[in-house]
Amino acid sequence: MTAPTTATRTRGREAAQALAAEMSKLVSLPATWLTLGGTLVVNLILAVAFTVAGLQGSTGTKSAVDIGLASISYAQAGFVILGVLTACSEYIGGQIRTTLTAMPRRALQFTAKHLALAIVVCPAAAITAASGVVLTAGVLGDTAAPVTSGRVVGALSGVTAYLALTALISAAVGALVRRTLAAVVVLLGYFFIVGPLLRDRTPAAKYLPDTAGFAMWFPVADDASAVTPAQGALLLTAWTVALIVFVVIGYRRWDM
Amino acid sequence: MITIDSLVKRRGSKEILSGIGFQARPGRVTGFLGPNGAGKSSTLRILLGLDRATSGTALINSVPFVQLRDPLATVGAMLDGSGAHRARTGRAHLRWVARSAGLPRARVDEVLDIVGLTSAASRRVGSYSLGMARRLGLAAALLGDPEILILDEPVNGLDPDGIRWIRTFLRQHAASGRTVLLSSHLMGELAETVDDVVVINEGKVVADGTLDEITGSHRTLEDAFFALTTGGAP
Repeated sequence: MTAPTTATRTRGREAAQALAAEMSKLVSLPATWLTLGGTLVVNLILAVAFTVAGLQGSTGTKSAVDIGLASISYAQAGFVILGVLTACSEYIGGQIRTTLTAMPRRALQFTAKHLALAIVVCPAAAITAASGVVLTAGVLGDTAAPVTSGRVVGALSGVTAYLALTALISAAVGALVRRTLAAVVVLLGYFFIVGPLLRDRTPAAKYLPDTAGFAMWFPVADDASAVTPAQGALLLTAWTVALIVFVVIGYRRWDM
Repeated sequence: MITIDSLVKRRGSKEILSGIGFQARPGRVTGFLGPNGAGKSSTLRILLGLDRATSGTALINSVPFVQLRDPLATVGAMLDGSGAHRARTGRAHLRWVARSAGLPRARVDEVLDIVGLTSAASRRVGSYSLGMARRLGLAAALLGDPEILILDEPVNGLDPDGIRWIRTFLRQHAASGRTVLLSSHLMGELAETVDDVVVINEGKVVADGTLDEITGSHRTLEDAFFALTTGGAP
């Protein structure tokens, strides 16, 4: 018998083991890699489409960063789906009962799951965003408007953080709804229909998660009342934390 | 030691459990019997911290399950189904469970061997037969080498070989001083395996004693069971 006696494990050790278990779940789910790979490919195709449109002059003279990141507002759907799958895959095959008998402290397990998602999503988001920009820059060559390296780094880190936080919000909504399709419909409905509609109609919409998040990387017109990238990051982080806290309060009490 | 006391569970206006109380002791296999819908699974789910009781207590070694410092090494639980996502391989499923308790990878291979699933370990859980899914659930329960086993309908879906194997396994487990609590609605399979019997019906305990006490003057445990749960001899 190689099972060691771990009856005296500390809180810190328990948390580290919960994170390791949630990481292991995420990377061993084929849907994780299919979603991330699919998102990368779709984003590159969209980036080429936007670049071709840029070369034909229909978007005016813009930098490779602006054109290369335009596709992200569509590619974010992949990160929404990944977040939902992370949460809702627990409810397939009764896995949630294995999870909660192995890790009965639910707030800890829930936090570990979201942290694991962030650890996987951050590099994936950075690669997705950077590959779109690099491809665009390669196609545009000298025809693109010049851009400072500071702007490139700022935009890419903004996009990466935005996609990671969007995935976390999606995972929290997934845990609330528990059903993949329903959660995806709710979230995509918000990000692609309700959000854009509100954005055009109410000034207060700039504080909502999607619009505030866009400010982290999307070029906004110089406007004193506009949300700055830093404010956008703060707002989206606050939305994410608030939603996770709200869901975890219920998650601790629900019958599973 | 499992101690359940005055357990009540209401869902809406429906009372599913009406004051369930019994104990499962070390060194013995305790059979938790009742017809479908009697409240067996609800009781076990509360015991494992999955559902919340309306009132009453369900304790493992005197504490609620959620307060166990190392749940996997204390209690091995197998509920209905595999408890695994169908897209993962059996081995990948056991690996993440093992990680949650800091158990080595070698332990995963050991439990796969114990339940006879080594050759199917690299296959997706979705391709498993019902019996294989149950074996995977049992493998997960055994990972932490727990002192207490809680099994919901363990013989469901097993072939005759599997049933014979699990009987022997549970007898050996109890003989080594561990606690085994298993639920079943199948009386025949259980009679040769259990030491103590708790019979519930419609959310209440209707009998609690040793196998001999419960069988009593009836010819078999099955006869006793029907007498107890239908209010008269069949």
